[in-house]
Amino acid sequence: MSFENEQKLLHDALVSCKVPDIVESVNTAKAAGMSANEIIDEFGNSMSEVGILFERGKLFLPHVLSAANGMKKAMEILGPELMASGNEGASKGKVVMGTVEGDVHDIGKSICSTMLQCAGFEVHDLGRDVPKPEFIREVQDGCCYCGMSALMTTTMTVMKDIIEMLKEAGLRERCTVMVGGAPITQAYCEKIGADVYGESASETTRKAKDIADGVVQ
Amino acid sequence: MTKDHMTRMGDGSRVWMSREEIRAEVEAGNYAAVDAAEVPSLTDDDMTRIVDIMCEKGRTVSVEPGEEVILTQDGGEQKLLMDNGSSSPALELNRLEGIQVHERALGMDTFEIAYFDPSTKQIKPVIGLEMAHCQNVMANTVIPMLYMFMPNLGLYYQPTGMYGNPPDLMRDFKIEKAMSEGEKAADEMYKDIVYIGEKILSTGIDGMDFDTTASAGDLDFVASLRAVETLRESYPDADIQMGMSAENVLGIHGMVEYKGTVAAGLYPHQQVKLAEMAGVSAFGPVVNTNTSKSTAYNVARAVCMVKECSKVSNIPLQVNMGMGVGGTPMCETPPIDAITRADKCMIEIAHVDGL
Repeated sequence: MSFENEQKLLHDALVSCKVPDIVESVNTAKAAGMSANEIIDEFGNSMSEVGILFERGKLFLPHVLSAANGMKKAMEILGPELMASGNEGASKGKVVMGTVEGDVHDIGKSICSTMLQCAGFEVHDLGRDVPKPEFIREVQDGCCYCGMSALMTTTMTVMKDIIEMLKEAGLRERCTVMVGGAPITQAYCEKIGADVYGESASETTRKAKDIADGVVQ
Repeated sequence: MTKDHMTRMGDGSRVWMSREEIRAEVEAGNYAAVDAAEVPSLTDDDMTRIVDIMCEKGRTVSVEPGEEVILTQDGGEQKLLMDNGSSSPALELNRLEGIQVHERALGMDTFEIAYFDPSTKQIKPVIGLEMAHCQNVMANTVIPMLYMFMPNLGLYYQPTGMYGNPPDLMRDFKIEKAMSEGEKAADEMYKDIVYIGEKILSTGIDGMDFDTTASAGDLDFVASLRAVETLRESYPDADIQMGMSAENVLGIHGMVEYKGTVAAGLYPHQQVKLAEMAGVSAFGPVVNTNTSKSTAYNVARAVCMVKECSKVSNIPLQVNMGMGVGGTPMCETPPIDAITRADKCMIEIAHVDGL
């Protein structure tokens, strides 16, 4: 069954970043027979578009946060159906996210966490100035993605320390290490032995999705 | 390709380019403007004209006689009096003498009186002194006088103000609180602008200039527009100008509207329509300079955006041409070769009314 109209409604509502419109579009899509997973997939794609519009200066931080808030409300509506279908835990994987020790800049990391969540990942956002052992503990507890952010040249070196600690704990092969933040580059990512460099929240999310979907290793 | 044309990068450093390279930079700048602001492209003739101007051999360039435009200065008299280290002459003059030098020695067509800390919030406590200064200046000068101030909503937020700081609140995902604090701060600033505006215009001065409008985003812009509207009711003949702070209105609130139009994300050709509705007499668009790109790129990008603004505007445009805006390099004293070329392009191709 085709849900072209409902898909457009969901997409337009999320990109409008208006919470009441997002909630209404979910109810309309549900009434038309769309499943919770289909609705979430549509929102995942639309959230990526929100991220791109944000990067291009067409949308701003309050819009991204409102869209994320709308997604949260949508998940509250869809929760019972997901539980009933036993599909509640069908996430793309667990991600630990945090701004590294000594660094308190976390707005970009928070946006990235939100976008990963919207894309279907289970995100454990530890916030800012996160002590190194907390990343290791989360990977031990089952996170298969380790996302680190640093906004200063003086704190970016902590990322390398954490990668070394993961190696020492025998956990390095168990997780994909993702790095980002203003001073981070692809070259630095490779130099410290991380797996993914994300220049922006949407790029990080896209790369994580590609890995989760098996598009890339 | 001989690199025989000395030009500048956006940070003011010298660079030598061939005519073909300059042409490529102009095309790239034009494309960047079309992409960002969603405005029509410059014509092929426009781009060729920019290349011709950029490649002119003289140290400076100029427009033909009869094509001159109105010049004003929104930095106030302090620019001559202060010492910025590597710029500003630090002349031993009082404020009135500084203005008279601009009028009688530098040949300004109009001038803008400004307090040394010209934000709304800082002017409010000294408004009586500023009124007396305006009266004294008008008694001793001939050219039209405006009073320049900066709305500057940022000063109403913590830690310098009493309202919660939206970027801090958003960092904690307190989006609704961020919006409501911003709205309250904007209401306060609106009242203060109207207060200082009523006082200054009551001196009989020719008008006011809202300078660096929207520096704190969309709420700053909308509160300023509301203040223009209120002042216009009391002073229908006053010359109320509005100069912007950036090419794009930042969405710090995101949803705030002025007369049904969401303010966040507007570019010059859209900003000017709201300014018109509010009752602004002349508008000062801003296009930011990219310091990593050449002057040819930056000038083409600025001219492309301002040309569309000029086309749709029903009020005169007095475009901002100075450090880091209008295609001129971002350095304390922009080099005269770059700024005269940017000015000439803006007059001949974007058809602005003043600089």
